[in-house]
Amino acid sequence: MGKARIIRCVLGMLGTDVHTKGIRTLAQLLRDEGVEVVYLGEHNTVPGMASAVIQEDADIVGLSFSTAAYLHYVRAFRDELISRGAGDVPVMVGGMIHPDDRAPLAEMGIEGIFGPGSTVPEIMAFMSRAADAYRNAGAVNS
Amino acid sequence: MRVAEAEVKQLAESAIAQDARAGARLITLIESGASDLYPALSTLYAAGGHARIVGVTGPPGAGKSTLVDQLIAYYRAANLRVAVLAVDPSSPKSGGAVLGDRFRMSQHYSDAGVFIRSMANRGALGGLARSTPDALVVLDAMGWDIVLLETVGVGQSEIDIMRHAGAVLVLQTSHSGDALQSVKAGLLEIADIFVVNRASEPDAQRTVRALREMVHVDAERRGEAAWPVSVCETEALTGEGIAALAASIERRFTYLTDNPKARAQLRHMQVRVHMEAIAAGIVAARLTDRGGAGAPGSDVVADVAARRRDLYATARALVGGDD
Ligand SMILES: Nc1nc2c(ncn2[C@@H]2O[C@H](COP(=O)(O)OP(=O)(O)OP(=O)(O)O)[C@@H](O)[C@H]2O)c(=O)[nH]1
Ligand SMILES: [Mg+2]
Repeated sequence: MGKARIIRCVLGMLGTDVHTKGIRTLAQLLRDEGVEVVYLGEHNTVPGMASAVIQEDADIVGLSFSTAAYLHYVRAFRDELISRGAGDVPVMVGGMIHPDDRAPLAEMGIEGIFGPGSTVPEIMAFMSRAADAYRNAGAVNS
Repeated sequence: MRVAEAEVKQLAESAIAQDARAGARLITLIESGASDLYPALSTLYAAGGHARIVGVTGPPGAGKSTLVDQLIAYYRAANLRVAVLAVDPSSPKSGGAVLGDRFRMSQHYSDAGVFIRSMANRGALGGLARSTPDALVVLDAMGWDIVLLETVGVGQSEIDIMRHAGAVLVLQTSHSGDALQSVKAGLLEIADIFVVNRASEPDAQRTVRALREMVHVDAERRGEAAWPVSVCETEALTGEGIAALAASIERRFTYLTDNPKARAQLRHMQVRVHMEAIAAGIVAARLTDRGGAGAPGSDVVADVAARRRDLYATARALVGGDD
């Protein structure tokens, strides 16, 4: 009522990635934009991260990568979410994403792709839109 | 937020059938202040009453989440189903939050016998969030055997936790100051069990001795029938001392079972506090309906502020339901 709904975002890294400075900074920036960030850090497994998305009832998931294996991980993660009935939760990807990989990511349903040059307003605009669409598609809220 | 009644009823039934997604969604609805949840909450409440709620509180960085991580492992080894509700502070400026407790429990992420939920306190004082009590009702209804409730890192007199847990662990470290500070902070009134974490650190034994002395003096004052507060030592990173701590927690619940009077006293206090919170929530929602955004003349808050209405009569009418 009146107040804007608070976005809950699960943020973490999959696999062997160890460069956490990027997501730690992003977590703080998002907090300063009013987002509740569930910070999962590095070294997450695909099923573990999917459990977090479900238990935390995230409006959106942010995956950050600094290694080249992201296509593999994103696909595995999307498949896991789908198999557990949470395939509608929007996923955004950040890091050094090669331009050639945008099309395959889009095919997996990843609309938010943010590289090093992305700005906080860009990311926030995407998150608000994606989270709203997700919540409104669910029959629970109106 | 309005929610379709049938939808919420379905969520409640699914949560009782241990569906994690339904339980998680209900907690979100509770947090968002959805207005039509009472029938579902009643259903959930009726299904609960079995979970053991263990509160974990203590200053920022004392090792609460790390200790919770170890307790999960301990209870899982005993084949119990464990839920965690972990509260972290919201930024007063933006309202956002970085919820970092879960991060310390990552070894349990893919265990279906573990459910972890992070919660921002959204400006509430006292170490918990306003929605914490009702979220506990959801977790209880989901049939988790143990619910570990971690508060915001707090220092003094945050007594909220004892209003919701059967066993309250108060973490201290070697940096926690001397006994006088603990007395001043009223920690004795909150703690069922003191836990000195990072027990191998140089000054930790000083903290242990000070707490033991304080607890001893207090025990004499409180008499034999009272729960004997104990002091445990842990090293949460390695898990040292966790089995002894779990044994103390077990003793606490046995004490409550064996002492109906103490149990009733605790439960009555907890029900009273929860009931007051529910009633306060209803009154606040009524006030929002009738104030703030309302047109001039129908806005009771503006009317009282302009002294066109009496403060006390308006407040009483709000509760009575006719104004
Ligand atoms: N050496 C040592 N480090 C510990 C111990 N327990 C926790 N830590 C470390 O202390 C830091 C904080 O631990 P947390 O478990 O996050 O503390 P917390 O009380 O939950 O913190 P907040 O929720 O922020 O108030 C982490 O880096 C832990 O690894 C311990 O027993 N020994
Ligand atoms: Mg913590």
